[in-house]
Amino acid sequence: MSTAQAGRQGRSEADRRRREGGLSGLKRRPEVGALIVMLAVVLAIGFASNGNAFNALGLKNNLSIIAQFGIIATGACLLMIAGEFDLSIGSMIGFAGMSMAMMLKWGLPFGLGEATPATAFFITLAMTLALGFLIGFIVTRSKLTSFIVTLAFLFFLRGVTEVAFRVINQSTQISGLPDFKQDSWFADLFGGEALSWIYSLWFAFGGNVNRFGAQWVSGLDARVVWWVVISIFAYVVLSRTQAGNWIFATGDNRESARANGVPVEWVRIGLFMFTAFCATVFAACQVFDTNTADAAKGNLKELEAVAIAVVGGTLMTGGFGSVIGVFCGAITFGLVANAVFFIPSIDGSYYRVFVGVVLLTAVFLNESVRKRITGGI
Amino acid sequence: MQSPFVRLENVVKRFGPFTALNGVNLSVFRGEIHALLGDNGAGKSTLIKILAGVHRPTSGTIYIADDPVSFVSPREASEAGIGTVYQDLALNQLLSVTRNFFMGRELYWGPRPFGLLRLEEMDRITHDEMIKIGINISDPRQAVGTMSGGQRQTLAIARAIYFGAKVLILDEPTSALGQKQQMEVLKTMMRVRARGDIAIIFITHNEIHSKLVADRFTFLALGEVIGSGTHADLAHGDIRTLMAGGVEMRDLEAEVADAAGSRSG
Repeated sequence: MSTAQAGRQGRSEADRRRREGGLSGLKRRPEVGALIVMLAVVLAIGFASNGNAFNALGLKNNLSIIAQFGIIATGACLLMIAGEFDLSIGSMIGFAGMSMAMMLKWGLPFGLGEATPATAFFITLAMTLALGFLIGFIVTRSKLTSFIVTLAFLFFLRGVTEVAFRVINQSTQISGLPDFKQDSWFADLFGGEALSWIYSLWFAFGGNVNRFGAQWVSGLDARVVWWVVISIFAYVVLSRTQAGNWIFATGDNRESARANGVPVEWVRIGLFMFTAFCATVFAACQVFDTNTADAAKGNLKELEAVAIAVVGGTLMTGGFGSVIGVFCGAITFGLVANAVFFIPSIDGSYYRVFVGVVLLTAVFLNESVRKRITGGI
Repeated sequence: MQSPFVRLENVVKRFGPFTALNGVNLSVFRGEIHALLGDNGAGKSTLIKILAGVHRPTSGTIYIADDPVSFVSPREASEAGIGTVYQDLALNQLLSVTRNFFMGRELYWGPRPFGLLRLEEMDRITHDEMIKIGINISDPRQAVGTMSGGQRQTLAIARAIYFGAKVLILDEPTSALGQKQQMEVLKTMMRVRARGDIAIIFITHNEIHSKLVADRFTFLALGEVIGSGTHADLAHGDIRTLMAGGVEMRDLEAEVADAAGSRSG
């Protein structure tokens, strides 16, 4: 046998896949695009604002909005990986904020007496989780697309929120609630400050000083901790647990997942409940931070959540995505949304222009990543 | 002579007024490949769905190792040792080979379903099982989408066997594959057959493939068994006639020729 023949015989189908080094293997990871965009935006905004975006106050303000984006986008990301959408996130935020503020102002329902931050939160959470369950139940039972079912809930919940405000409160706003975070550790958990040791340390090392030579900023908003905790939780569940395997499989090929014994209905119902949970945490942070509520809160947040998830590398068709990517995407979006405060010369509406461009780019990028991991088939 | 591992006795399945299966008998032995042949609509799919626990028979009995069984769900059938490899394979293209191999039966530490995956162990088992069945995948973490059609079939078969299938139902495993990959799948089937402890039901359209590997044949047409026997029992001509649902190939050729003629005439 000639050597040429021997060479051919040793070949197998697997050899047709080009061996890739560490660097080109990176290209197949969903979060790489999001990471590059994030770094570019951090540098650009850092320069354009003369570093003001990342001084003690700038960092706090930026992280505050980044955390808001991150909390809801993480929920939207997991749901999209399982192949579903939730357009009710924004209205769920409005509903949850209304519910908590209303109980804090007017007392618990059915004349159960005064509400505490904890009872207001947990009763609201019970309602939003039930709503999430209901959405998931309708989607899985009716086999309608989640797009249309959650669109219905977008209108329904916003309407319910406004009606409840007018009927009980005679106004679509509540302001001037007592500052619960002063006395209640529970309210402080959502609306207070966290990680103040970082800022104290910063001051101790000579930074973070105001005009009078005292410590300038005392700490980050508590929602930053919620964002990080929710992200870590979502990351571990998605990439390291059985449930994560099921989430990917449900979005990739639902029938095959079902055939292998994956409870695809429960996976999706659970994730609709998770997005409802994220929306409730978002609302709680807002209510306990500002001591106000407004029927318009959370408007359009569902679309921003979807946009961040896509920019983070989540496929619109499901089955693929990354929590790390969404983490980077939230940083990108938060910085750009806030940029107008640090770069006064720009028009705030450039934020939407940026979102449009980045979103479209991300969709093309994600599609090429999908082709690359499936070998172009 | 050993008794059949799976035996269907007089199985009838009706969907409303439509009779999909009209008293079907089938015996499948361990260590043998039993080819189930028939035209589209002959009832092959209904038959395997009954075996896989998707449908319940209207009447008739299924015996496994001489015990009558009645499955109410695919899970029950799979627990009883019936592994079905469907045409669409039930694989997730974007997930890794390992994650597909263990889909729904992951190894984990901690409470279900939030237990941490034992990924290293799962990778190792997947790699070993794939080598046992004749495929050396260099990286069990590569996406299934990168594998060839034949490799995917083999993955699905290896998975069914690893999770305790004693009866392997293969639903047209060679259709939609290229020549070389078809042979790869047939080789895989022969390796499984050589183990001797697994009964294989091979559903196919392809007369040549069935003759290459099958020990026994059953022919279905319009919901009934129109012929069966061992390899030796059936002469070459019979298989062809039975495949076409009992119509002589000559007649079919004549009909085709007629149709061609009617154009010019």
